[in-house]
Amino acid sequence: MTTLNGSERKTNLSDFFSLSGATGPLIGLLVLCAFLSFATDSFFSFRNFLNIADQITVLGIMAVGMTFVILIGGIDLSVGSILALSMMVLGYLNVEAGYPMGVAIIGALLASAVAGAVSGLLITEFRVPAFIATLAMMSIARGLANMITNGSQIIGFPTWFNLGAIIRHFGFLTITVAVMITVFVVATLFLRFRQEGRALYAIGGNPEVARLAGINVRLTTIMVYMVCALLSGLAGILLAARLDSVQPSSGVAYELDAIAAVVIGGTSLSGGTGGIVGTIIGVLIIGVLRNGLNLLSVSPFLQAVIIGLVIVLAVAAETFKHRNAR
Amino acid sequence: MKLGIKSALAAAALATTAGAASAEGLGIEKIGLAVPNLQADFFNQIKLGVEGYAGKLGIEVIVVDAKNDTATQVSQVQDLLTQGIDAFIYIPAGAAAAAVPTRLARAEGIPVINVDREPEGAPGDTVIYGENVVSAYQVCDHIIGLAGGEGKMVVIHGQKGTTPEVQRFEGCKMAIDENPGVELVAQQWSQQWSPDEGFQIAQNMLQANPDIKLIFGQADGLAMGAAKAVEVAGLADQVIVGGYDGDGAALESLVACDTPFIVTATQSTQAMGVLAVNSAIAVANDASVPARQIPNAVLTTCDDAAQFVAKHP
Repeated sequence: MTTLNGSERKTNLSDFFSLSGATGPLIGLLVLCAFLSFATDSFFSFRNFLNIADQITVLGIMAVGMTFVILIGGIDLSVGSILALSMMVLGYLNVEAGYPMGVAIIGALLASAVAGAVSGLLITEFRVPAFIATLAMMSIARGLANMITNGSQIIGFPTWFNLGAIIRHFGFLTITVAVMITVFVVATLFLRFRQEGRALYAIGGNPEVARLAGINVRLTTIMVYMVCALLSGLAGILLAARLDSVQPSSGVAYELDAIAAVVIGGTSLSGGTGGIVGTIIGVLIIGVLRNGLNLLSVSPFLQAVIIGLVIVLAVAAETFKHRNAR
Repeated sequence: MKLGIKSALAAAALATTAGAASAEGLGIEKIGLAVPNLQADFFNQIKLGVEGYAGKLGIEVIVVDAKNDTATQVSQVQDLLTQGIDAFIYIPAGAAAAAVPTRLARAEGIPVINVDREPEGAPGDTVIYGENVVSAYQVCDHIIGLAGGEGKMVVIHGQKGTTPEVQRFEGCKMAIDENPGVELVAQQWSQQWSPDEGFQIAQNMLQANPDIKLIFGQADGLAMGAAKAVEVAGLADQVIVGGYDGDGAALESLVACDTPFIVTATQSTQAMGVLAVNSAIAVANDASVPARQIPNAVLTTCDDAAQFVAKHP
């Protein structure tokens, strides 16, 4: 929490304009936290904030990749399946084939990146709409993940692997959370200050104009889908550490959570506007909401309704803002 | 330490209110129950069993539903522990029964009662699960007997690799092997144990083997879906379908007895919930509990389904 607030303040000083899209979600998050602090005495505690950080790791990293994709006006439905594929490759290489964890991690990331590159090529070279190309990849990657072990789970990772998700260094920082924070910081800086990062906004605004302005739209698009898949693969590795096991049915419907987080964070589904800070806030809103509803002992059925309402609320607020601006 | 004071205060507060005073002295005031998926009647019945019995004892129950996702379940268990539960009833989600929730609860030093499945390498204080092998044998033996001990048979499995999936097939296979006239012509695995999967799988099987006489669905949902596919194919006179679990809807269907689905094994789900609460209380008071508690399932046909509809065991 503290680190996020820190980065928030920094961006606020250096680049006030970019935060303007995320102020609404930020207010929503603060109101939510304030409400939960009064409604339940177990919410506002250091220990619970650490739990929330643990709980949002996977969604947070996937949502960063999804933000890139949505910024260029695309969509990626395959992230949940690629997460499962990465987990199964990791489990197969490390446990079944006996390679060291380093090799297994590289293998898992490589498999994810290849899947993303294929989606990107389908979209740019074969002109398959992103929705269809990634829908196909969702099915293919899920099938491959299942084929690796014929549908069953793999357990038996080295002990330190699971401990990376449990031991809190300096009293608060697990390795998995540290990876998430690193991804957040790098992605924010990349989008703000690198030319390639600004190019994503240009492509999302108008790909033809971006091309005429000298941006290699095809290559950038392929790279974006590759990075998105790579981050999903990374999220899969962290999830494997957290669960100390891998199974091919992991990550079903995670793509919808990732899209929801991005949209709640104020990134427009039509591309061109938004950013990582908004997405981080969107991820936190979903994470805090789920955690808070559990702490309030809200019935699971009602929880689903409330989360749906929050998504509608966020998008409706965005639409109203645009209508007023026009 | 802070928690200790808090719960001591809560206990004192409870002791002063006459109505809830029964919870005091049990050693448990708050139970956390982690359920894989409340859409499945089986888990819902266990939840009702836990809630009903704990309610009578004045114990508060907090239920979380993981919607079949292991990662969600780990998060939910963290949240349960934050709320200071005194005992943890854990029904693992997914085929990989994650060991992490057990470890987290162990770190808090509270009783862990596993129901239905048990994570490998991280056992709880006790595990309660329905007997599978003998009961599945009885179901398959029953339908094979009705078919005169011969004919083509298919099995629609549950989620591959889960304990009930493996054991129910083991039991059914025993019945098949005893009858050389029965030929197992096809088997297929479902992901969710659901009726729509049962329908689709059975439809494809009937397409490939129109002379099937026997279908065993490893859950009532699968069996009822398969029975519907048999009816659609116009083979209701030729095919007999057996199921498993004794879900509410399945028992009502058996009472009506107007489909090819005519037998199931009714699990003592509500009793499992009661057993779980009792085990939690026993462990909290340092009493010994058996490592495994295995209530039997009861073979249920059209004739005796009515009593279970009236009161689920």
